[in-house]
Amino acid sequence: MDGLPGSPLPPAEAPISEADARGRARPAFLPSDVDATVFDEGFLRQLERLQVLMRAPVRGGLKGGRRSVKRGQSVEFADFRDYTLGDDLRQLDWNVLARLEKLFIKLYVEEEDVTIHFFLDASASMASGHPSKLLFAKRAAGALGYIGLASEDRVAITSLGGRAGRRQLALRGSGRVFRLLSALSGIAAADGPTDLMAAARHAGAQLTGRGVIVLLSDLLDPNADRVIRELAATGSELIVLHLLSPQDLDPVLEGDLRLVDVETGEGVDVTVDLATLDGYRARLEAWRQGFADLAARRRATYVPLSTDVPLTELMFAELRRRQVVG
Amino acid sequence: MSFVSPLALLGLLFVPAVVAMYLLKLRRNDAVVPSTLLWQRLVADVEANAPWQRLRRSLLLLLQLLLVLLLAALAARPFLERPAGLAGDLVLVIDTSASMAATDVAPDRLTAAKQLAVDALRDLPAGGKVSVVAAGRTARVVVNATSDLGRVRAAVENLAVSPASGDLGDALNLADALAARSRDAEILVATDGALATPPTSRLDHPVTVLQVGRDRKNQAIVALAVRPGSSGVTRSVFVSVANLDIEPAKRRLQVYGDGVLLEARDLTLDPQTRSEAIIDDVPVGVRVIEVRLDREEPRAATADVLALDDRAWAIVPPDRLRRILLVSDGDPYLETALTFLPNTELYGVAPQDYGVATRPELFDLIIFEGTVPEELPPTAVLAIAPTTTSSLGEVVGTLKDPGIGSLDPDEPILRYVDLSTTHIGSAVKLALPAWARAVVPGPGGAPLLYIGERDGRKAAVLAFEPRQSDLPLQVAFPILVSNLAGELMGGSAAPIGAVAPGDPVPLLLPAGALRLQVTRPDGTITELAPGTAGGAGISFSQTDQLGVYTVVPVYPEATTPPAPAGTPSADPSGSPGTSPSPAAPGGDSPTPVPTPAPADPEAPNRFAVDLFDPSESNIAPGSAAAIEALGIGPGGAASPAPSGSGAPASAASTGSPSASSGDAGSTTPDRPAARDELWIPIVLLVLAVLLAEWMVYQRDAVTRLWRGLRTRLGQGEVAPAGGRGPGRGRGV
Repeated sequence: MDGLPGSPLPPAEAPISEADARGRARPAFLPSDVDATVFDEGFLRQLERLQVLMRAPVRGGLKGGRRSVKRGQSVEFADFRDYTLGDDLRQLDWNVLARLEKLFIKLYVEEEDVTIHFFLDASASMASGHPSKLLFAKRAAGALGYIGLASEDRVAITSLGGRAGRRQLALRGSGRVFRLLSALSGIAAADGPTDLMAAARHAGAQLTGRGVIVLLSDLLDPNADRVIRELAATGSELIVLHLLSPQDLDPVLEGDLRLVDVETGEGVDVTVDLATLDGYRARLEAWRQGFADLAARRRATYVPLSTDVPLTELMFAELRRRQVVG
Repeated sequence: MSFVSPLALLGLLFVPAVVAMYLLKLRRNDAVVPSTLLWQRLVADVEANAPWQRLRRSLLLLLQLLLVLLLAALAARPFLERPAGLAGDLVLVIDTSASMAATDVAPDRLTAAKQLAVDALRDLPAGGKVSVVAAGRTARVVVNATSDLGRVRAAVENLAVSPASGDLGDALNLADALAARSRDAEILVATDGALATPPTSRLDHPVTVLQVGRDRKNQAIVALAVRPGSSGVTRSVFVSVANLDIEPAKRRLQVYGDGVLLEARDLTLDPQTRSEAIIDDVPVGVRVIEVRLDREEPRAATADVLALDDRAWAIVPPDRLRRILLVSDGDPYLETALTFLPNTELYGVAPQDYGVATRPELFDLIIFEGTVPEELPPTAVLAIAPTTTSSLGEVVGTLKDPGIGSLDPDEPILRYVDLSTTHIGSAVKLALPAWARAVVPGPGGAPLLYIGERDGRKAAVLAFEPRQSDLPLQVAFPILVSNLAGELMGGSAAPIGAVAPGDPVPLLLPAGALRLQVTRPDGTITELAPGTAGGAGISFSQTDQLGVYTVVPVYPEATTPPAPAGTPSADPSGSPGTSPSPAAPGGDSPTPVPTPAPADPEAPNRFAVDLFDPSESNIAPGSAAAIEALGIGPGGAASPAPSGSGAPASAASTGSPSASSGDAGSTTPDRPAARDELWIPIVLLVLAVLLAEWMVYQRDAVTRLWRGLRTRLGQGEVAPAGGRGPGRGRGV
């Protein structure tokens, strides 16, 4: 749905894409199925310098650009260990052997890749707001995914809708960025109710190994805290980008209303006046604070966001401040 | 508390309507939100402290119900009853005489009396009728038996002081007649009791007096006259000032001539006496004298609460020359007598030379001796012994040695005229026309001298030639000629003496003039046209203001006034001059060349309206009891009248409603109670409730406004709870 009743807001995506399409030439390198309005060249070049940060080294798969818990081949010295039969003599520290006449093998830090999973909440509620939360989520995922690809990490996109998590794709290498973007463009909001808990479990079950989970959701689900708890418990690092539209933060409602849930169709009778709005804001704040506290306990990163933040500010200021990227 | 229209309480049926609408209104508008998650918790919270919240929600309903109750009550017109203090039919007499303009009670007595009267109306029983009689110079019914109190109040408000002597007795009689229409009637008199002529006639209804005024400090100009001085050239002003106070007073008398201060004189006035002042040597040419009675010192506290009688005006009589044309073959007696008239010029012409060329319209009086022309000139005419029948009179024969009939001693023309020794040789026998009155009756109804007004012009006929009698040899002759000429020419178009306010003033329309314009002292202009075409007399009655009235004749635009000031010297001199003066016994008196008319016919005439009424200027409040004693006592009981005749008379008059006469003896006659309607507090309540409802309805806006003000003023911290942007509310 677009906008809330009573708010004279235009459809969420239209004005932005139109305005941007008018103001900016479409980069020639972009494939046709990629939303040209989301990224431009300068932005992508800035993104290349960033990297999705992790609190701890993780075990990865292929060789990549990220420090691994494994010792391996790189230029960065890590440790020594005793030589055992069969070790590669090329790794022997000859200087130590000459001085102490003992055999030591030099260990180097292995650099590996890590999989960054983007869990995109595609529930119906994400389609609301101006700009739309889903659009914002796609852009954020695209930007972060580009960072991941540029820093030689694997990037996987999973959309959570209905009761299932659908993995859209998993790819590696900065050359695949356009496939990432076109995959993101294809994600549409689900019709009907979404059980975020079930969908997240379903997506979590598809995880292999540990990595980084970026959950982009408005968390408007009664079980949102359990979702965070369970995703944090998978062993991967969890980054929660809590997306709320300006209309969610500051509803433009007044009078005696029956508020209808866009997903479930349930209604709540509310007389909206100033006192009610004040109560709503207080409740919203407490609700977000509850997520922040929960994330802090679970060593997850919680970033509350309003969808009217410009993408560049999000990437280069907001997320850096949060040490999500660096 | 009762209701005037209790049926309007059916409006309470709107109470369930409001409730029903409130219930129906619970159908809310749908608003789709991303999630009701937060709202559900909020609603749960709200319901946790439900009683207060529910009350707050329904505050509007309560206010609306209250509003419905109040409006229904308002429509039903609740009132409180209390015993009525007044009769059901009230006649309000309000004194508007000059003394009511006294300012001893702020702002003046009339205003205070009006207030008292309007206040008294509150005691009127429900449905009571009120008549209002204004007692000015004459009694006038302003409002007649209406129960519309608004109209009564407006009428009372519009009353103004008429600067004239009041006649309260007349008004009381009128009020009594009005009151007689009803069984339960009462007369309420608002007056200061300072009455020129205390009313004496008994009234058949109870009279209550609302008295105003407490002071009697007043000095008044009670007479003002301008007379020729002893030299005969200058004029003297005679002023009479009365001190009606019981204390001596010092006043300054100022005399203005045409608005210029001529003289000021300090007068010490003994109480209750009149002082005269004579101001001599009024400059020649002054036309209007105004006399003011002022404070002695500009700073001195005024000892005079009535300003109305502190100014007076007088018109200096004009001394213009009158022209008399004598159409005669020569009568030395008559010519000599006419020559002695002051301020006149005598012209002579032979009868055969008289005609249009004589310009008869230039003369103030034309005397025809013997022959009378067929067409009479448009001026005053005196015919002496007409030989033929004319419009002045029918000649029926001659009288030989007629005797003089009995004379009216009050006849102004015969003042100082003694005809007892007069003998008449022969006279013309005339029939007395209908327009004339006989001044000197002759034998058998044939008048010897009659005078009257014919077509608006004065005319007189003397039936005998003076030569045919011994009258010219007597003292009476010049006096009679003087009186006759004075009467025929008139003093002026307007009276010289002061006119009492309200009195009609007869005005004379000059020949050729279409109408008169009268400018009143306040500058308003009244146009007067004669009632009949050709009529010359107009009565002007709007003399209700004190001051100088100016009368200007209006001529048709095409024709210039008949005698522009310059022309008489050139042209009309021909007629009397060219025709040899038939008889010039005086030699010089009928000058062949008349001097230019000293008075412009267009020059305005003036007259002054002055109060000059010591009894009205006496503003000492009179006895209210004396007036109240005129009526019967309250409730129909006869007042303790001193005379025995008063009681039976009143008893007989009240006896007509015989059924009620029994309990009319008690002090509470059968009359409805007075009602105080309570709509003012209810309307105020309705407004208050409306305001409260509006504020409750707009409480969010009011709160927002308040917050905005507080932020703007930087007072305290304004905490709209909840972070709006992503930058706020972060835990880190």
